[in-house]
Amino acid sequence: MIRCEGLTKYYGNHQAIADVTLNVAEGEIVGFLGPNAAGKTTTMRILTSFIPPSGGRAEVAGHDVVTDSLNSRRAIGYLPETSSLYRDMRITEFLRFCAGLRGMGRAETKERMDYVLDTCGLQNREESIIGTLSLGYRQRVGLAQALLHDPPVLILDEPTVGLDPNQIIEVRNLIKSLADRHTVMLSTHILPEAQMTCQRVIIINHGRIIAEDTPEALSSQIREAETLLITLASPGENVERQLLDLPEVVSVRPTSGGSYHLDTAVGTDIRAQIAEFVVKHGWGLLELRPVEMTLEDVFRQLTTEEEGVE
Amino acid sequence: MGKILTIAGKELRGYFVSPMGYVVLAFYLGVSGLIFALTITAPQAEAEMGGMFHTMVFIALMMAPVITMGLLAQEQATGSIEMLMTNPVRDVEVVLGKYFGAMALFVIVLVATLIFPVMLQVFGDPGPDWAAVFSGYLGVLLTGMAFVAVGLFASALVANQIASAVLSYVILLFFWLIGWLAYAAGERIGDVARYVSILENFQDFARGIIDSRPVIFFVSLTFFALFLAVRSLENKRTI
Repeated sequence: MIRCEGLTKYYGNHQAIADVTLNVAEGEIVGFLGPNAAGKTTTMRILTSFIPPSGGRAEVAGHDVVTDSLNSRRAIGYLPETSSLYRDMRITEFLRFCAGLRGMGRAETKERMDYVLDTCGLQNREESIIGTLSLGYRQRVGLAQALLHDPPVLILDEPTVGLDPNQIIEVRNLIKSLADRHTVMLSTHILPEAQMTCQRVIIINHGRIIAEDTPEALSSQIREAETLLITLASPGENVERQLLDLPEVVSVRPTSGGSYHLDTAVGTDIRAQIAEFVVKHGWGLLELRPVEMTLEDVFRQLTTEEEGVE
Repeated sequence: MGKILTIAGKELRGYFVSPMGYVVLAFYLGVSGLIFALTITAPQAEAEMGGMFHTMVFIALMMAPVITMGLLAQEQATGSIEMLMTNPVRDVEVVLGKYFGAMALFVIVLVATLIFPVMLQVFGDPGPDWAAVFSGYLGVLLTGMAFVAVGLFASALVANQIASAVLSYVILLFFWLIGWLAYAAGERIGDVARYVSILENFQDFARGIIDSRPVIFFVSLTFFALFLAVRSLENKRTI
């Protein structure tokens, strides 16, 4: 449903995306993952014909986004990153305005409006003025607008940004429930979010796609090591050496104030042994916990690997 | 056409949910009403609108940048243009929709001023020359069309509302003041200045003469400004 080939975009001399090639099949939910300024929004803006690419081509639902953009735009429901809505409009007025821009008839508008207000949890707020709504509700209005014309393709730029944890769960469930009727491409910089909602994840960094796989495959590929953090009250001499002598410990990196990062083999949990070991040496164990791999680490790892290959 | 009307309707509605529409209406009617009162209470005043139309055109020049400054500049400043333009609408439909929305407000204001000739008819003896009133109003409408189009172009060009208003004042005042060159400069430059001067082109309408040349001038100025607005909108996204 979505196809990009060698998509490139320059802003002046700055290359925002380089040679982005991707495919999203019908009915798929694909997560577009990357840190800020990685090129996610640029790619999505090209797909929605908001900006033209500098090179390469893109198709949505079989329509070129540059030469046949009216038709490609018809097929898309788009939630922009900062869903700037008209603040002085009521929700119903805004949705009716969107329906007008989509050329929807009166009966269809009414039916779809009831549906999206219900789906996005806006039933009792439909007469509220958008400017008075909280960020979470505005995000729902943006989502309602994207769903209004029942588009085959949904492009959602950071759909859960600015929502509270309960709303995030609601929105994620909503997106999952859309999968059977829509093709969804959503961007996020939150790794667990992509893992939870998407069947496939495309990772982009510095404007280049650096990995593309199912969330499970990606995380096992990324997790070459488990990392533990320990903090000691009175580390003796040669702590690092002695910790390294433990069979499962791959490397020891001292951080600050008596803390150490221990990399251990994948799939092992040696916290019990470590605790026992530290106590035996009388180092005074203050803290011992597994370190979650942050997205930063993932990107660092993926990008350095990529450079290593080249 | 449906999409153009959708956008125009939204803009017109926007004027009247904010103070803008009422302020513009009050300003236009207040100032022109004051001038009207002063002219008809002067000694030996006649029941005619000739001088009034000049006033109305000048107030229209003051007003047009104000009603157009937000049309596209605000969309660009807040980013709502992204949601607007990713709908299946053409750039030209967006520009025309915004244009008709602002023109609708202008026409509402003009219709409200019809109270002046009606009063002349009721209280004047003899009443006004309605043919001259018609040509005068046609003139004000045509000039207003060009003013609003220029304002919309400025609004497409810059994302800041104030800058957009200032820019349209600069453009409009240029076309207004260039008329002075017609008398100050030599024959050749003076002729050119006369052709593009708003005042010179408006003159005949106020006198009750409908000539094709000023009609063509204002209509082409309108089309040209709207064309530039569409281009500027396209260009914004290509950069």
